[in-house]
Amino acid sequence: MLEFKAALTNEIEKLYKRKKIIVAMVISLIFIIIGQLSMVVLRTGFGLRGVSSMDFPILVLSVVVNTILPLFTALVTIESFSGEFSQNTMKIALTRPISRLKFFTAKLTAIIIFIIANLLFVMIFSILAGCLFNSNSFTLLSVLRVLLSYIVTLLPMVILSIIIVFFTNIIRSGIGVFFMSILVFVTFKGLGIIFYRYSGMFFTSMMNWYSLFIMDTIPTFKIFLQFMMMLSYGIIFFTAGYYIFEKKEF
Amino acid sequence: MEKIIEIKNLSKVYKNGRGIMDINIDIHKGDIFGFLGPNGAGKTTAMKVMTGLIKPDSGDVKIFGHSIVDEYEKAMTKVGCIIETAESYLYLTAFENLKQVSRYYKDIDDNRIHEVLELTGLLKYKNEKPRKFSLGMKQRLGIAAAILSRPEVIILDEPLNGLDVEGMISMRNIIKDLVEKENATFFISSHLIHDVELTCNQIGVLYNGKMLNTDTMKNILNNYATLENYFVSEVERNARI
Repeated sequence: MLEFKAALTNEIEKLYKRKKIIVAMVISLIFIIIGQLSMVVLRTGFGLRGVSSMDFPILVLSVVVNTILPLFTALVTIESFSGEFSQNTMKIALTRPISRLKFFTAKLTAIIIFIIANLLFVMIFSILAGCLFNSNSFTLLSVLRVLLSYIVTLLPMVILSIIIVFFTNIIRSGIGVFFMSILVFVTFKGLGIIFYRYSGMFFTSMMNWYSLFIMDTIPTFKIFLQFMMMLSYGIIFFTAGYYIFEKKEF
Repeated sequence: MEKIIEIKNLSKVYKNGRGIMDINIDIHKGDIFGFLGPNGAGKTTAMKVMTGLIKPDSGDVKIFGHSIVDEYEKAMTKVGCIIETAESYLYLTAFENLKQVSRYYKDIDDNRIHEVLELTGLLKYKNEKPRKFSLGMKQRLGIAAAILSRPEVIILDEPLNGLDVEGMISMRNIIKDLVEKENATFFISSHLIHDVELTCNQIGVLYNGKMLNTDTMKNILNNYATLENYFVSEVERNARI
């Protein structure tokens, strides 16, 4: 466990020192401000109601979950794997007394921590912005709905990063992985629209699964199906990614 | 004497046909083993297999009796190494780079980091990032990382790369000190044959992926004027075959 803890601490330190977290936070903040400004413009300029304070964080989530959140998850994952492959720095840790499985898992855990931090940041600031600038709809239930939406969004983001980790292990160049990720993301989104009856099978349609949790009647079976689908994606791509990583020569 | 590194029937052949074939070497406690061979002979490949960066096609390496293939963590607990090039994270300072390494070991505190920085002459640059370091300074940082955990086995691939004369002398002294005071065992590959002659007490010659010979430095110097003569004669003899 000492080795895993060491690798995880190191990965978090590297993530922090590369300043990716700060950039992600700043851009997330800009997104929230732009979102809030649009709401103010809509309300004052066009007389539209816009959103209430507790709807605003959900509105922000619906935008970031398909834009900056997957983008930053992809960038951090690519930097953590492809970046280290190309700079040949992977061997610094791999020649220490740590198994490749522990190291691989520690890297992935650090990315998950990054996603949690990013989600938490967006949630807190969108709640604050929502409360400051919109009509008040603050109830305990509405706060719970926001909290739940952000918590469950973690899962599809983790699956996305596991899929990208797999790509980083089969494609040498970081830019190649980035474009491959975008291509797969866009293709799956497109397929989800064309073959809407089967859209439940594509992981891109699962990005919005938080919306299932905030319905008036929660569709438990649909949530279970999507959860199992994501779990399957996770297990398959984690195993495939780790298998290639374990065999990799440095 | 206690066997520290045991390389048995080790083979690793790349798609281009190069690599290492059926290598057998035993290294004992306190040995400073010089691994010689022309470019492309397979020295780095052998060292990469020894440190788990590459999986062998067949054979095994045991360090302190633990297989590098099956018990990697146990085998590497007391090993420090530089393989191919001394890498460091360019966005972390020299101190932070060593701090990263120190976390994998028990009882390695900041004082030890300062100690190795002092030993390698990098103490005054501890808060600088290796981005601004010269090749020699990066090499010194690599050496500092390799000896940080007080390893009992140190595997160094071309440790003198980029070092100035002062750096080479200090590296030689560091090696000798570690052998004398802590009874460490070294496995070193180098092209600087004069330096190997001054530092090592065991020599192995690798040619075209095969181990030609291993002998003690004492025996070699009894039969040849210099290590260079021995190396050239071994390589030429096998090139003819």
